[in-house]
Amino acid sequence: MNTIKVTINNTSYDVPANASILEVCKQVGVEILTMCHLKGITDIGACRLCLVEVEGVNKLLPSCTTKVVPNMIIYTETEKLKRYQRITTELFFAERNHMCAVCVANGQCELQELGYKVGLDAIRYPHLFPQCEVDTSHPWYVIDHNRCIMCTRCVRVCNEVEGAHNWDVMGRGHQVRIISDFNTPWGESITCTSCGKCLHACPTGAIWPKAIVQGQLNKNPGMITELVEKRCMKL
Amino acid sequence: MAKKKLATVWLGGCSGCHMSLLDIDERILDVAKLADIVKSPIVDGKELPEVDIALVEGSVTSDEHLREILHIRHQAKTLIALGDCAVMTNVTGMRNYFPLKEVFETSYVNAISNDSEGKVPNHPSLLKLNDKVVPLQEVVTVDFVLPGCPPDADTIFYVLFEFLNDRVPDLSKVKKLKYG
Amino acid sequence: MNRLELKELIANAKARKENGKHKIFVCCGTSCMASDSETVLKVLQEEIKNLGLENEVEAALSGCMGLCNQGPLVKVMPDNTMYQKITCDTIKEVVQGQFINKEPIRKLLLFADTRPEPFINAEEDPFFKNQKKVILKDCGSINPEDIMDYMAHDGYSAFEKVLFQMSPEEVIGEIKHSGLRGRGGAGYPAGLKWESVYRHVNDQKYVICNGDEGDPGAFMNRSVLEGNPHSVLEGMLIAGYAIGANKGYAYIRGEYRLAVKRFETAIKQARQKGLIGNNILGTSFSFNVEVRIGAGAFVCGEETALIASIEGKRGTPSPRPPYPAEAGLWGKPTLINNVETLSNIHQIILNGGEWFSNIGTARSAGTKVFALAGKIKYSGLIEVPMGTSLKEVVFDIGGGIPNDGEFKAAQTGGPSGGCIPVEHLDAKLDYESLASLGSIMGSGGLIVMDKQTDMVDVARFFMEFCMDESCGKCVPCRVGTKMMHDLILKIYEGNGTKNDLDRLEELAAYVKETSLCGLGGSAPNPLLSTLRYFRNEYEEKLKQHKHVSHEHN
Repeated sequence: MNTIKVTINNTSYDVPANASILEVCKQVGVEILTMCHLKGITDIGACRLCLVEVEGVNKLLPSCTTKVVPNMIIYTETEKLKRYQRITTELFFAERNHMCAVCVANGQCELQELGYKVGLDAIRYPHLFPQCEVDTSHPWYVIDHNRCIMCTRCVRVCNEVEGAHNWDVMGRGHQVRIISDFNTPWGESITCTSCGKCLHACPTGAIWPKAIVQGQLNKNPGMITELVEKRCMKL
Repeated sequence: MAKKKLATVWLGGCSGCHMSLLDIDERILDVAKLADIVKSPIVDGKELPEVDIALVEGSVTSDEHLREILHIRHQAKTLIALGDCAVMTNVTGMRNYFPLKEVFETSYVNAISNDSEGKVPNHPSLLKLNDKVVPLQEVVTVDFVLPGCPPDADTIFYVLFEFLNDRVPDLSKVKKLKYG
Repeated sequence: MNRLELKELIANAKARKENGKHKIFVCCGTSCMASDSETVLKVLQEEIKNLGLENEVEAALSGCMGLCNQGPLVKVMPDNTMYQKITCDTIKEVVQGQFINKEPIRKLLLFADTRPEPFINAEEDPFFKNQKKVILKDCGSINPEDIMDYMAHDGYSAFEKVLFQMSPEEVIGEIKHSGLRGRGGAGYPAGLKWESVYRHVNDQKYVICNGDEGDPGAFMNRSVLEGNPHSVLEGMLIAGYAIGANKGYAYIRGEYRLAVKRFETAIKQARQKGLIGNNILGTSFSFNVEVRIGAGAFVCGEETALIASIEGKRGTPSPRPPYPAEAGLWGKPTLINNVETLSNIHQIILNGGEWFSNIGTARSAGTKVFALAGKIKYSGLIEVPMGTSLKEVVFDIGGGIPNDGEFKAAQTGGPSGGCIPVEHLDAKLDYESLASLGSIMGSGGLIVMDKQTDMVDVARFFMEFCMDESCGKCVPCRVGTKMMHDLILKIYEGNGTKNDLDRLEELAAYVKETSLCGLGGSAPNPLLSTLRYFRNEYEEKLKQHKHVSHEHN
């Protein structure tokens, strides 16, 4: 395997060439916070949590979509990055209606986990309290837009792994919404195969199976990764 | 060390945080060694005197709450927002997506449990609900926030005990952060 | 068609132009057409027929002449006599005066209502005299719907020269030498961009013309596309030849119907003449051009979002690297240039890079088109050499503030730019000077504000624009712009606190640095620049806050 030398947080490592900064960091045990990343589907660099500082580059780079180059000097835990990670987390919470106490994903939620990791005790920005729909038209599943953080993991997993492309995005700015087909109720979708991959891909309590209550959600995003990896294996 | 004065206040919340506070069980004796609880839903004190620490549960939902929290801020050296409602409105804030009128009608007129005569209560002695529920820090400076729905008894005791011993607790350091 | 035939065609076009006839142009740009200039043109043509002047006078439509609020405008060539606010009745007077009595109609002359002595030759008026036209040289003096008229003004001569006398490396060298920088806003050197696309070896490359002009109050690209579409097309052809692309896309904003129509006409005419297609003029160079119409999203002016939109996807940006030069449209090396950048190309080829680099300043060569608007006497489309001072533009060309008002600030760069206050009135309009003042060159919007303008409201307006136009992909831009807008609004309405202002500043720094694309990255600029120069106005508003006593300090 082709390896190159990079420096991460002042420690030098030999890492595979052509890998992303995120992959490299994971491999050498440097933790990077992520939200829109899910191994197995395309990275889009949207959540801005995985931003890192690279010496000689005057902007912050998303580690999920940036490839390592020889002799790259990377910093992942500067004061500035920590401050920005906290603001991003606060904005996630303030944007829609994340009431952990009454959420199916309570205790199973990547957003909640992220809050603990960045030490978020209070949200300093006013909550926006948008009116969001809860679509219960699907016979088995529910999509609750109140809990959606627009990571679009469901969109990508549906398109890339299941190949159904039931999900897409509508609108712009803070009014963006995940839609089923051409913004019709999920239950009426002609593309959805009811495979449930979006459930597992969803980091929060936005998509969940019916007949569960607060804190009962069990999800396994690693299943998506495993599925993709097994597909790629040569038999 | 002089004995401190402690108050606990119940604004727009479900009192679950106070229940959790009671769950510190016999450790309340440790608290009592260091402080007098001068005002609380569980003690008989009418006026809020000047206090060292005020634990405030719930969010600001009405004119009465606003008046109260401003008064508490004035009287308390350290104001602690106790629980998710005080910190980020939580369940109390779920009415914020709807106009107030709709909220009233849903609860008093159209609710299934109401008979056909249900009407929105309107009496001068009742408190007036604000249009939007806000967390404490939107109206006053909060010195410490303690999220959780409710925060568990251990965490409450930890925070309280630290403050009573003139130390500032750090929830992330002791891995006691929790929402929901 | 081959090379000789093209040369003959150009020679014929030039001969036709020198037929000794008077030319009378009626501006048919969007704003003059809104004042019914098309009917004026029809009446004019009938009147010429009625008076039997066909052998002496030729009437035609043209693109923008610059003074958009005085339309419909009419220009008589070769005397350069311009008339303003012409109606179906007054056009008859003009014909009578100009061609029968041989005496211009003074009361209808351009600036007749604002200047004591309007000039017969409009070029002598300070509004035009202080400008230098390169990009707009022919805009307003040629018929944009006639390729022959463009050829008569040296059109496609540069393309011919490139195709038969220059290698791609030479073309790129010439562009590099000219010092031309991207006119879309960021000012990246065009030659370097061309070179990097050229260097990426691939059998399929693309040229994209970015005409998705979206800044509020900006209409530079629209006017160029409407007034001289062939110049942009020729720029695309030359770029295609230089970088080795055989396909071009012109991405034009959907609201610009006339620009789309004129550009499509230009493509059709060029194809008929064999200037677009396979094996152009018998060479091995093939190039086809298609128009793609934007659906009204500001973010699609960002290159990666624009590419996604052309691909038929949702127009959202993606992180760079990889840059489009490496992996752009359908993953192929792609050159994206702004309309204005491309419309400079043919003149650089014809006159040489040296000539171009002598215009403007050392680091910002050439001229820049500005859409002058706001509280200013003469608003419209102007073109000045880079490095011209703001004062010259506002006062010498724009005529200053109307009704004896007082200048307060000028806003450049639209929602991505900032304000330049009165103390920096001498600031030079070039990339570096504007950046040092906390603003940007941008695409060329220039809004003048007088003493009555509330700067907090200005910041609120631009933030609202960015909030509405954010694509919603990344968190800082999607939620951050909304938060900032709400906080500015709170302060504007007199309910803000010191804490709100602090949070606003924190968010501004955060959104600027962490956003995925330039939209979010520059969204805080209007706020930051008003805070820099007019902080007192924010603080005034904080004092209005009624609940200030609630704050515990």
